[in-house]
Amino acid sequence: MTGALSMRGALARPVGRGLVTRCGAGVAVAALLVVLPLMFRSGTALTMMSLMGISIVFALSYNMLFGQTGLLSFGHAVYFGLGAYFAVHCMNAVITGGFPVPLPVIPLTGGLGGLAFAIAFGWVSTKRSGTAFAMISLGLAELVGSSVLILRSFFGGEEGVTTDRTRLPRLLGVSFGQQIEVYYLIAAWCLLCMFLMYRFTRTPLGCMCNAVRDNAERVQFVGYNPQVVRFLAFCVSGFFAGVAGGLAAIHFEIANSAYFSATQSGNVLLATFIGGSGYFFGPVIGAVLVSYLQVMLSDVTEIWQLYFGLLFIAMVVFAPQGIAGLLMMHRPLWNKGGLPKVAAAYAIALAPALVMLTGVALVIEMTYRLAVKAADGPDMTFFTIALTADHFAAWLTAGTLVVGGFVLFRLAWPVVVAAWASGESRKEHVP
Amino acid sequence: MTTRALEMRNIRKRFGSTEIIRGVNLSVDERERHAVIGPNGAGKSTLFNLVSGLMKPDAGSISLGGNDITGMPPWLINRRGLSRSFQVSNIFHRMSVWESVRAGVLWSAGERYAFWRDADNAREVSARTDRILADFDLSDRRDAPAGILTYAEQRALEIAITVAGGANVILLDEPTAGMSRAETDRAVALIRRVSEGRTLMIVEHDMSVVFGLADRISVLVYGEIVASGPPAEIRNNPKVREAYLGQEVH
Repeated sequence: MTGALSMRGALARPVGRGLVTRCGAGVAVAALLVVLPLMFRSGTALTMMSLMGISIVFALSYNMLFGQTGLLSFGHAVYFGLGAYFAVHCMNAVITGGFPVPLPVIPLTGGLGGLAFAIAFGWVSTKRSGTAFAMISLGLAELVGSSVLILRSFFGGEEGVTTDRTRLPRLLGVSFGQQIEVYYLIAAWCLLCMFLMYRFTRTPLGCMCNAVRDNAERVQFVGYNPQVVRFLAFCVSGFFAGVAGGLAAIHFEIANSAYFSATQSGNVLLATFIGGSGYFFGPVIGAVLVSYLQVMLSDVTEIWQLYFGLLFIAMVVFAPQGIAGLLMMHRPLWNKGGLPKVAAAYAIALAPALVMLTGVALVIEMTYRLAVKAADGPDMTFFTIALTADHFAAWLTAGTLVVGGFVLFRLAWPVVVAAWASGESRKEHVP
Repeated sequence: MTTRALEMRNIRKRFGSTEIIRGVNLSVDERERHAVIGPNGAGKSTLFNLVSGLMKPDAGSISLGGNDITGMPPWLINRRGLSRSFQVSNIFHRMSVWESVRAGVLWSAGERYAFWRDADNAREVSARTDRILADFDLSDRRDAPAGILTYAEQRALEIAITVAGGANVILLDEPTAGMSRAETDRAVALIRRVSEGRTLMIVEHDMSVVFGLADRISVLVYGEIVASGPPAEIRNNPKVREAYLGQEVH
């Protein structure tokens, strides 16, 4: 578990080998971003991948505060939204003024907008940490959210402000009328931002952010003012949140109050937490997963947010280190070559777990049908299977799935424990 | 006449209605090893908190190397060359040992709040961090998170972070508290080594540590210095004997 505790931990050294690994990871991510749209060609897939890219930048900027500096913010969407508004206004100014500014530069204006407000709001909020900081972030989110309807000339009221990305001066003849062009624009910015935010974690300030997270009092006695560290981290984080907002403005061609919503602030927290805030790549996993679930789950069920909430609770209770933490937990096993055995054990335990979860989902869906959608009658389909929600047989099936799955899962679990034990007792390979 | 590394003039500190520090006058010469002893609750830790900037004195003045530091925040005092350790290990639990010690090095190496440089490429910083880890016998644990170290290792890391920035004046608050005899002996040898050529002020309960290490000793009882002098003089001071026999001083 030792590795799971540190932000960078054992990866720090040896430098030479780490450098090769890091460059390799960067090239692999870049190649993946280029190849993905060739594999998934549909419009839905392109849109989803574009949203994922935006979410990755946003979640990584959030983790700069949450995972790296230990600041829990409930209002990070403020900088995302203000970045989007800045970007939209800049796009419109470019269109009407005829300035020679091509679209790929626009996310930078979003970033500067986010930065400007992070400087102003951060000056106040980073004087405190912990609960006080969290409360101030909530208050600021309310403040900005309500000003959308007050400062209509800037925020455009309820309709928001629209723009047309194709009317900006073209760069190399690309009009950005097609989604694939927007995807590559977002992918390029996403890659650049990932690189820069990763570099940030290795800078002196980035290191001191970790120190402030762990022990702000002690930081004072090694020459640093923790308030200044928090403030600077907040500004850098606000900049990247603004870039993400600028990318979203380009994607949707609109900025409105939804950008500032509490849901938006909440989602980035959930994505970061589910992915794993203790590792740099954690929020990337979280952002991809949450974006995917939001689009796909909402197609499958109307109450997808309920499942989303259950997932979050399960992560908090069973895996507070997030998905990244779960993955990194297996690193020692991987080194010792014990992973295949454990993976086989997981497969054995997974089958009853899926049976149990299917049963739980069936209970939830039938309850929803009977309690909320009573007007539609009790006939429904569950994973293409037609059933009657007020029928005894349906509930008996669901109950059997839940109980049976649970019992079998408990029986299978010792296999996993044994596989872990045998894997851990193996001798480590000499690297 | 030698310069005063540290000078406290008539400092006072009150918590509510209780005055904990009642007009302390104390000076520490450059390159002196100065121990502060006294019964529990005498105000030793409070005195350290006042000198290091964690608390502000209600009255009096404190100067470091001839410059007034009264009421300054801890980081400014630290940048002027005073560094302290804590009685209860006050470390960075999730950071590795190497990163923790480096955090103590960064400011003094001129890295400040830089967010455009790679800290891993700062050769001087890395070399100094490596050297301190070796000095403190922590090289084998460099990649371990500080939170999983043994108690004695955490105490060593606590002092390593304190001296990492190369401060001229080092304040150690009960560095050997809770250690075994063997661990204490090792710690004393270590403290002697790292305080070579620097000014050391130490709070300690273990009298063998105090008399083995200190050039001068001050005795703090109920917020007042009742005696100050070389170890032999303190050993025979009747007021000190009185305080340590647990009798009322007044």
